[in-house]
Amino acid sequence: MEYKVEAHRIMSISLGKIYNSRIQRGGIKLHKNLLVSLVLRSARQVYLSDYYSGACLNAQGEREGNEWDIMDSEREKFPPSTTECESPEEPQPNKQPEASEKEREYRENDDEVKSNQADCTSTLQQEQNQNSSLESVGSISSETPPETINEPKESPSDTTVAERQSESTPVENGESHQPPKTHVCSNRKRSAEESEKDDSPLKRTKVASSKATEDEEGEEMDTSNVSNLITIFGSSFSGLLSKDSAKPEAEAEESGQICCDQMLKNLNPWSTAIVAF
Amino acid sequence: MEEESDSRKINNSFLRDHNYATEADIISTVEFNSTGELLATGDKGGRVVVFQREQESKNQPHRRGEYNVYSTFQSHEPEFDYLKSLEIEEKINKIRWLPQQNAAYFLLSTNDKTVKLWKISERDKRPEGYNLKDEDGRIRDPSTITSLRVPVLQPMDLMVEAMPRRVFSNAHTYHINSISVNSDYETFMSTDDLRINLWNLEITNRSFNIVDIKPANMEELTEVITAAEFHPHQCNTFVYSSSKGSIRLCDMRASALCDNHSKFFEEPEDPSNRSFFSEIISSISDVKFSHSGRYLMTRDYLTVKVWDLNMESKPLETYQVHDYLRSKLCSLYENDCIFDKFECVWNGSDSVIMTGSYNNFFRMFDRNTKRDVTLEASRENSKPRAILKPRKVCVGGKRRKDEISVDSLDFSKKILHTAWHPYENIIAVAATNNLYIFQDKVN
Repeated sequence: MEYKVEAHRIMSISLGKIYNSRIQRGGIKLHKNLLVSLVLRSARQVYLSDYYSGACLNAQGEREGNEWDIMDSEREKFPPSTTECESPEEPQPNKQPEASEKEREYRENDDEVKSNQADCTSTLQQEQNQNSSLESVGSISSETPPETINEPKESPSDTTVAERQSESTPVENGESHQPPKTHVCSNRKRSAEESEKDDSPLKRTKVASSKATEDEEGEEMDTSNVSNLITIFGSSFSGLLSKDSAKPEAEAEESGQICCDQMLKNLNPWSTAIVAF
Repeated sequence: MEEESDSRKINNSFLRDHNYATEADIISTVEFNSTGELLATGDKGGRVVVFQREQESKNQPHRRGEYNVYSTFQSHEPEFDYLKSLEIEEKINKIRWLPQQNAAYFLLSTNDKTVKLWKISERDKRPEGYNLKDEDGRIRDPSTITSLRVPVLQPMDLMVEAMPRRVFSNAHTYHINSISVNSDYETFMSTDDLRINLWNLEITNRSFNIVDIKPANMEELTEVITAAEFHPHQCNTFVYSSSKGSIRLCDMRASALCDNHSKFFEEPEDPSNRSFFSEIISSISDVKFSHSGRYLMTRDYLTVKVWDLNMESKPLETYQVHDYLRSKLCSLYENDCIFDKFECVWNGSDSVIMTGSYNNFFRMFDRNTKRDVTLEASRENSKPRAILKPRKVCVGGKRRKDEISVDSLDFSKKILHTAWHPYENIIAVAATNNLYIFQDKVN
């Protein structure tokens, strides 16, 4: 359990560093931000995997990627709204390098988000934020550009996003995914250690519910500060991104189920902000 | 090296000494010239201070060639990039001397974006007796001139002047971290996070890109270049280090763009040491060829490694600089100390290597005897001309007298930049805004 706390702390510290680097004199230092993003990714990975191993319920643990793929496709068939917070059983595929996976993940994330929106109780959201969002994002993002994954999670509202941003406590509401993670080599290592199942959102949900109470405590968030951070990040980096690198807008467009395209596009830069300057 | 085994060094002088620490005075680079006669330091305020060694005199044998201020000039000014709304720091990142070819001295100094070639020359005579202007410089009325005279050079007080001779700019999108003069004395390279450019010393409006590791999609960025250096004798060979702990040796004869390396040096990571911060501590902060050109030295956060150019799979020697910090990486991450970029230097004969640490400690490793010593550069603990006492950090358990415990280390006092005289046992150590010069004991 202390790993989780530690991982969260490291994540929030890393976010603070990324934020500060934007306002420091001399411009953004690419090297330092790259290292910070790697730490962020590692911490998130550990956080998710730890969460997972702690909360792992039975069956999920044993399924392999194949099953997930199947489930994933099934999920895709059904509109996300039908998924409830607690129900989604679709495990998220962890590391699937194919491009199509990106899409899948996008949708999955989207589903999660939607489920959040639809039905989730605040606790559930909080829990998700805390653990899984980071983890799942981490795991998913191991192979794909972080933005894709991040976006959906961050989703719909600024406040939720903001909440995610909140520093010390695990992402609270919403969308969880905070730190923009770029391609993660280190994640790959970690995911290799943990099983892919770790990132199943389903598990997360379940665990979350069981931990609802303890999550709630941690969730006091200063949402206003967080939302400021998000919007600042999003808006200021978007200019840089569009100028410097190809934004993953294509990916965003692939998934028609993404509820908040606008938000996603704004937040895309956030995830790639670290490297795209 | 005798002095290493005795670990005796004389604290010779405190130069650039300030009681208050203004940020602009923080020394950011130290470099001896090729003869060791001159020592240049650059600081965060964009200034360069050059010291010159006194000629040894028989009258005062104990004052064996001390270094005094020779020239001070403002090399770089803060600039503003209007296009990106970014301020460009004037901090001098690196200084490299050119070999001396005439009476003047030349050095390259760089900040984040621009490299400048400075000429430092002496003037100790001036012409007197002009025809068209009088001694004050006022123009004389030609109608009052009745006779002509030939101006004569009269001695004057020595004046050292520094003039910028070349400005190499607009070639780097990212922050320049190294410059290196080629052994052909005609070209040099400048390195930023993602690219290395080759320049001709005479041509400022064009440079050639020889290494480019920028990915097409910046989101896929996984490593950056952290340092680069030309081989000391082979003008076609250079190395560059990465943030992932690898070093690539490239041959410019192979192709115009040296993205494909000729040799790749990397040590596999020890999985038992894996932590959140493994990537950060494996990032190489400095790479230096030995004077012989046979070996490479790299510095990462906790160790110094010596590599044989002929063996790519693992380093020849690994020296622990401050392994007691390994358990403190999380705190060091919080206070940003984990990002400190320590440099490392060879002595003239490549038998001893030196690097800095925290608490104003610096470490020397004798490669032959395998002995190492920790010394401290501080005014409180050593008087001028006193012999430096070896220091020791106690890791746990009982702390002996004179030892310092890990938790008492002052992490704001870090020695990042050091330099070693090319021939003699004289070292320059920059401790924040103070420069210390140590010499071998005179027997």
